[in-house]
Amino acid sequence: MKFLSDKALERLREGADTPDLAGTRYRLLERIARGGMGVVYAAEDQTLARRVALKVLDVPIPGGVLAHRLNREARVLARLEHPGIVPVHDVGTLADGRVFYTMKFVEGQRLDQHIQTVPSLPDRLRLFLRICDAVAFAHDRGVLHRDLKPANVMVGAFGEVLVMDWGLAKILRDSVPAANPADPDATIFQSPNAQPAEPDATPATAVTGHGTILGTPGYMSPEQARGDIAQLDQRSDIFSLGALLCFLAAAPGQAVPPMRKDKSLDAICAKATAAAPTERYSSVGELSADVSRYLDGLPVSARRETIPEKVARFYRRHSVPILLIAAYLVMRVLLLIFSRR
Amino acid sequence: MNKVLLGLLLGAVLGAIDGASAWFTPAVRAQLAGIIIGSTVKGLIAGIAIGFFARKVHSLLLGIVFGLAVGFVLAFIVAQMQHGYYFEIILPGSIVGMIVGYATQRYGAPAAVAAPSRQS
Amino acid sequence: MENGSRFPPTRWSVVDAARSDDPAEQARALDTLFAAYWKPVYKYVRLRWNRPAEDAQDLTQGFFAELLERQLLTKFDPAKSRLRTYLRLCVDSFVMNQEKAAHRQKRGGAVTHLALDFPAAEGELAGATIDPAAIPSPESLEEFFEKEWIRSLFALAVEELRHLCQERDRDRTFRLFEEYALAGDPDISYEKLAHEYAIPVTDVTNALSWARREFRRIALERLREICATDDEFHREARAVFGSDAP
Repeated sequence: MKFLSDKALERLREGADTPDLAGTRYRLLERIARGGMGVVYAAEDQTLARRVALKVLDVPIPGGVLAHRLNREARVLARLEHPGIVPVHDVGTLADGRVFYTMKFVEGQRLDQHIQTVPSLPDRLRLFLRICDAVAFAHDRGVLHRDLKPANVMVGAFGEVLVMDWGLAKILRDSVPAANPADPDATIFQSPNAQPAEPDATPATAVTGHGTILGTPGYMSPEQARGDIAQLDQRSDIFSLGALLCFLAAAPGQAVPPMRKDKSLDAICAKATAAAPTERYSSVGELSADVSRYLDGLPVSARRETIPEKVARFYRRHSVPILLIAAYLVMRVLLLIFSRR
Repeated sequence: MNKVLLGLLLGAVLGAIDGASAWFTPAVRAQLAGIIIGSTVKGLIAGIAIGFFARKVHSLLLGIVFGLAVGFVLAFIVAQMQHGYYFEIILPGSIVGMIVGYATQRYGAPAAVAAPSRQS
Repeated sequence: MENGSRFPPTRWSVVDAARSDDPAEQARALDTLFAAYWKPVYKYVRLRWNRPAEDAQDLTQGFFAELLERQLLTKFDPAKSRLRTYLRLCVDSFVMNQEKAAHRQKRGGAVTHLALDFPAAEGELAGATIDPAAIPSPESLEEFFEKEWIRSLFALAVEELRHLCQERDRDRTFRLFEEYALAGDPDISYEKLAHEYAIPVTDVTNALSWARREFRRIALERLREICATDDEFHREARAVFGSDAP
């Protein structure tokens, strides 16, 4: 048997892994990143002469139920037409049977990088609200993301916010008729005999299919971390959004120390990331409404204010007219005093 | 309610209240009715001007400063006519102008935008 | 039969076969495992335990004999680790026990029919990046073992691809593949190969595409055989073909 040098190993691995786009309308440009469930490449759509992101799902053996489900997943995601959700353009199968799909090529920064250039807490919270819009839309269409984290949100060159990497998405209710009516499962990545990830699994390797633990530690809900797939619903994504909110509020900015959150924002974070799903917000709309109220200086549902806190919030919200009226009254009193002397 | 109307009403009301506070100055108590009417008119005029300004310029700081300026000028004119009580007239008048300036910037419907013509 | 026996393309793993009641199945399971692992085990024993070549040969063969006799595969729990990690730890345990017992290992046993090119394996060690004199960290040992395991897997897949090309009269395809992917020439290109073989570049492209696809298919099928579960297979596939590869 011929000895394979390290160089040969590398060439073989690369050659076997690099997608063969012959027969498609795409031309491979460069590898960008490895995301959940696959590798993302920059490619050129030679028909429309535009750059696209091409994700090849690295499910090794082609064909069969899994590939069918992945195809279906891509079709469902393609229907999530929302400015905050990266649009899927095309789906296909490579010559070696691997499923791929193409999506908009986003030029910008990941949220965790971009946020360092946003020192203002209100600006960060407005970014967060746009993420919530996209996730709420997906939930309304019966799709969970299941891997929400800063690295999966892109901020484009023109400030557009896009939620990426729906590779772990779960379809709660299928709006796309299944090609195989006998297909019983609502999810792609589920097996009746869910096995826990091995102890040495890194976050990347924990992100596989077939009922193993999905998601990213730190942003994964407790039920997701347990591999309790049956319990996953939109509140799992709300947990992740809550963790994301905490990250945004606490992440340092350019030459700016970590911001002090006040109690209301703390309460919103705490409610969103409650261990029990029943204690979290029941919808993304509720979470974003609370954050909006916080931004407007209004009381939030996550916390009951004390009277001094209500007064302080009222003052903060109306400080200018309060000071003007107080100035008027003080001035009147002073004039009265001086006129009587 | 548009900003001009808001300025008009608020200016009039605050002007009336400001005028009524003259009751605490016994020396002018006898002329209270005239003071209230005059102060109301002063506030009304100031409010209209400040309201118009708020329609054109959308800046809280500039609105307050403009209100201060208008309130000051009108109060100064009134004080000149009274030949006295400069502090008692100008100071409150200026602050009332600032309050109206704030309110018209913060509240009140902005000027309506003309409907776009249909695309052919 | 250096590349080990091949099984029908149905879902099958060495662990399942090792647990079967059929002795022939068990033996074939061991053969498959042996084909994929003997070199990595040999090199690992040489470097990790710093044994001379002759001792390492004995230990390698002895380990696989023990694997069969003590049915170590039946004790493997996929929930706790990958199969290759388990095997590596079994090797460590075996070598330590041999040190304590201080007696020479049996040679052969159920695996003597496989020809083992120990001198070739010894020659390959010369290019190892791990320094046997240094005390290696657990991570570097795991990386080394993984790399050798991938090397062994790929070598088996290349060999099978060669047989496939011979069967299908695609010898030229295999030569192109060998020159492009295995020879290590950094300046090789499709144009050069087309010129060398006096064929159009498109023929080179098509041939190499076919060869890469088949290589990948064969490698993945081989990999599936030596993984205990689908989950492990998916993880190992990412390690072998993805950016996780060492």
